[in-house]
Amino acid sequence: MGVKMVGASVRRMEDPRLLRGEAAFVDDIRFPGLLHMAVLRSPHAHARILSVDVRAARELPGVLDAFSAAELGADPPGIPFFYNPESFRPAPQYPLATDTVRYVGEGVAVVVAESRHLAEDALELIEVDYEPLEAVVDAYAAIQPGAPVLHENAPDNVAATMVYESGDVEAAFAGADRIISKRLDMQRYTGIPMETRGVVGHRDAVTGEMTIWASTQWPHTMRTVLAGMLAVPARSIRVITPDIGGGFGIKADFYPEDFLVPFSAGRIGRPVKWIEDRNEHFLTIAHSREQIHELEIALRNDGTILGLRARHITDCGAYQRPLGLVNASLAGTSLGGIYRVPALRVEAVCASTNKAPASAYRGAGAPEATFARERLLDIVARELGVDRADLRRKNLLTPEEMPYDTGLVSLEAAVILDSGSFPAAFERALDMADYAGFAARQQAAREESRLIGMGICVYHQLTGTGPFEGGSVRVDPTGEVTINSGAAPQGQGTATMLAQIAADELQVPHDTIKVVFGDTGRLAHGMGTYASRNAVMAGTAVVMASTKVREKALALAAHLVEADPSDMVLEDGYAHVKGVPTTRVSWAEIAAAASPGGNRPEGMEPDLESVQYFENMAAPYSYGIHIAEVEVDPNTGVTTVGRYVVVNDAGTIVNPRNAEGQIAGGVAQGLGGALMEELVYAPDGQPQSTSFLDYLIPGSLDVPDVEIGHLETKSPLNPLGVKGMGEGGAIGGHSAVANAVADAIEHLGCTVTRTPLKPATVWELMRSAAAAPASAGPTA
Amino acid sequence: MDVEERATVDPVGTREKTITVTVNGDSYQRTVSVRHSLVDFLREDLGLTGSHVGCEHGVCGACTVLLDGEPIRACLMFAVQADGSQLTTVEGLAAGDELHPIQQAFWENHGLQCGFCTPGFLLTTYDFLREKHGVTEPEIREALSGNLCRCTGYQGIVRSVQAADEAWER
Repeated sequence: MGVKMVGASVRRMEDPRLLRGEAAFVDDIRFPGLLHMAVLRSPHAHARILSVDVRAARELPGVLDAFSAAELGADPPGIPFFYNPESFRPAPQYPLATDTVRYVGEGVAVVVAESRHLAEDALELIEVDYEPLEAVVDAYAAIQPGAPVLHENAPDNVAATMVYESGDVEAAFAGADRIISKRLDMQRYTGIPMETRGVVGHRDAVTGEMTIWASTQWPHTMRTVLAGMLAVPARSIRVITPDIGGGFGIKADFYPEDFLVPFSAGRIGRPVKWIEDRNEHFLTIAHSREQIHELEIALRNDGTILGLRARHITDCGAYQRPLGLVNASLAGTSLGGIYRVPALRVEAVCASTNKAPASAYRGAGAPEATFARERLLDIVARELGVDRADLRRKNLLTPEEMPYDTGLVSLEAAVILDSGSFPAAFERALDMADYAGFAARQQAAREESRLIGMGICVYHQLTGTGPFEGGSVRVDPTGEVTINSGAAPQGQGTATMLAQIAADELQVPHDTIKVVFGDTGRLAHGMGTYASRNAVMAGTAVVMASTKVREKALALAAHLVEADPSDMVLEDGYAHVKGVPTTRVSWAEIAAAASPGGNRPEGMEPDLESVQYFENMAAPYSYGIHIAEVEVDPNTGVTTVGRYVVVNDAGTIVNPRNAEGQIAGGVAQGLGGALMEELVYAPDGQPQSTSFLDYLIPGSLDVPDVEIGHLETKSPLNPLGVKGMGEGGAIGGHSAVANAVADAIEHLGCTVTRTPLKPATVWELMRSAAAAPASAGPTA
Repeated sequence: MDVEERATVDPVGTREKTITVTVNGDSYQRTVSVRHSLVDFLREDLGLTGSHVGCEHGVCGACTVLLDGEPIRACLMFAVQADGSQLTTVEGLAAGDELHPIQQAFWENHGLQCGFCTPGFLLTTYDFLREKHGVTEPEIREALSGNLCRCTGYQGIVRSVQAADEAWER
């Protein structure tokens, strides 16, 4: 084989356009006659809608249309959900609220006007008569008897309860030396990409297709959902993803505006655009992470884990959209991590509250479960008086136990750990971070009244979920190679990654390959970019398609030079007979021969293109070890993250610099969740975090350099041996930092049981610890 | 103000003013609505969509442009306030086909992922490095602290600025 691009740390093909300001994000797309939509949103967390009057808005000059749910028909289409566990009592969201609003920000009416300014002016003219109802914002309170009820079909506010069980849990607890219980809470926070959402809808005058440009992670899914809701054939809708300014999972959802824009464009017969503003983003984007974990762990005195029993309550917000139950499910099935947990039972309760609907965000359930487990393990180590690294060491699964079937099946897939070298990765991370030397440093720091801490997090990640991804590779008669992929990346560098993969098969320079994403008009079927699936799913589809193209090209070249295909090789953009470079045939000659009317072997179909779908339900698991070192200011409670070490194992790495960028970016988000990010609601359901002034995301002064070590335990589940890894940083980052803060302050006599560890929270913890007897340490 | 009165006395969007600005060396005269922000004017009236709208409240820095040489948040200013000014946007950095050394450094050092925040970082870096040489990492982090990036964790950006400091002959 000639040039090998898989594994090469090449710069990204995506960048020049982005650097020049020549990219086309959804708000950069414009048409003559483009109209703008604005949405009137509920100011109430819970209220009955008595009437909506849009007449005055319609009269405003420049306004083309204004309507409420009344004009969506008697039986308006609800947004579908993708999973239906047995216990599910669905509460679908409708494009506009019908008779009741259930969170602040829920859409009640829309205006379409010549400009966004005019549309927002007109919103002020809409009269809505509300009858406020009592709201419930705490998930624990919501499922108690007597709480305000959100949906009649679930009077206990429980949308679903899923139970995950393996092994003999009763026996494990009956035979335990120690049982330790703890409640641990993770707050509501989410992706907050720098580009908000946006949708443009435009009916193509020639084809009649409703063409939609959307800042979405799953264009094909969007087309399918929209076709159902609009009751038109899928062929009437074309969804195209422009450049996407970050997604992190929250753009893998179907939102009311995704329906309202094309619906309006169809109604008016002119193109319509809606760009979410940052305030709308905080109010209505998929929130995530908020879970209460009630945990019990059964152990031997030496720290051997015998069993884990848990109930977690996921705050699902007011409605469930397509992936609304996924966080709860995946948190349940990933609680055991990469440890040997012989018996496990998790009850995953999905609670409805008067807050924005929740859904998947980078890690989707794994960060929540990881926090519960890794924080619990530190608490266990302290209570048993064993070293926290030793505790983990003792219980980590070994390579000899791979593949390891947990016996659990989430809403996404069966949980079978396909491969890994967990102990080796663990020891490497401890070495990199100098764990062995830290206790002495910590002691020395304490003698100077400085509080430093080191936190360990061991996590694993479901990646590359099925059921399929599509990709096509074609070579034009002039020799240019184009890949069409069903992926819809948002900054991962996937174009470069896929081009590297195809370059190895075709032996053409990777940066001459054009990669096109997320266009339902170019590829019949696709899934999109979420669940760290680009390398695994889109990558394998491209391997399959380029292999087909390669085989056909070699057969064509052999035919042209009158040789046997098995004697042909590809090299430097040419095919030639092995050892006889003078027989070379260029890709343009090969592709021209492949064209209809070209010089092909008898019986060979024309054209040089292959469309392939990688169908696979067996999802590979990547994993990693994160170790954070922090210093807490004893006077202010401010945490500074110092050294940060990651050992990551995601099988084959296609492009190391892309992979490391994903890790560093993920760690920053995890750090944000551990220390600062929180979507706060007042008890009456009024959101308090609606701008970047009151929802802090990490800045350049908050995030350390991340030191990264790689292991490459190849996955047996795909030809490249790849595993996904984009979400891991966010999974590990949260708990490594939280555990480090705990390590810095818990000797004072407190226990960290929730995040975010904002300065005030940490200060309160330290202060209350100082005031209380150490044996009865308070918890936060 | 009741509905009827508002619709008649407040001819929304119709109050306009003619302004002249120089952007990336080209002079433009346009009549704009007085409530149009500078970034909307650049994007919608001049078609310079490289400046991005990330928050519209002056925190994220995605809309950073240079106004008479100083970095500003184009979302916090009305277009009419820029009348008579010289502006530089991301579209003005490269010299034809050749990327500016700062752009090149971001490309070589993985200084971007989704690229949405990137124009703001480039212009902030341009202003920072214009008069400073041999910058330290803490100085770089301080200089970038008014721009938010959600993808990179900043380390690629910091490295890019270090590389640009070395590469840019100024």
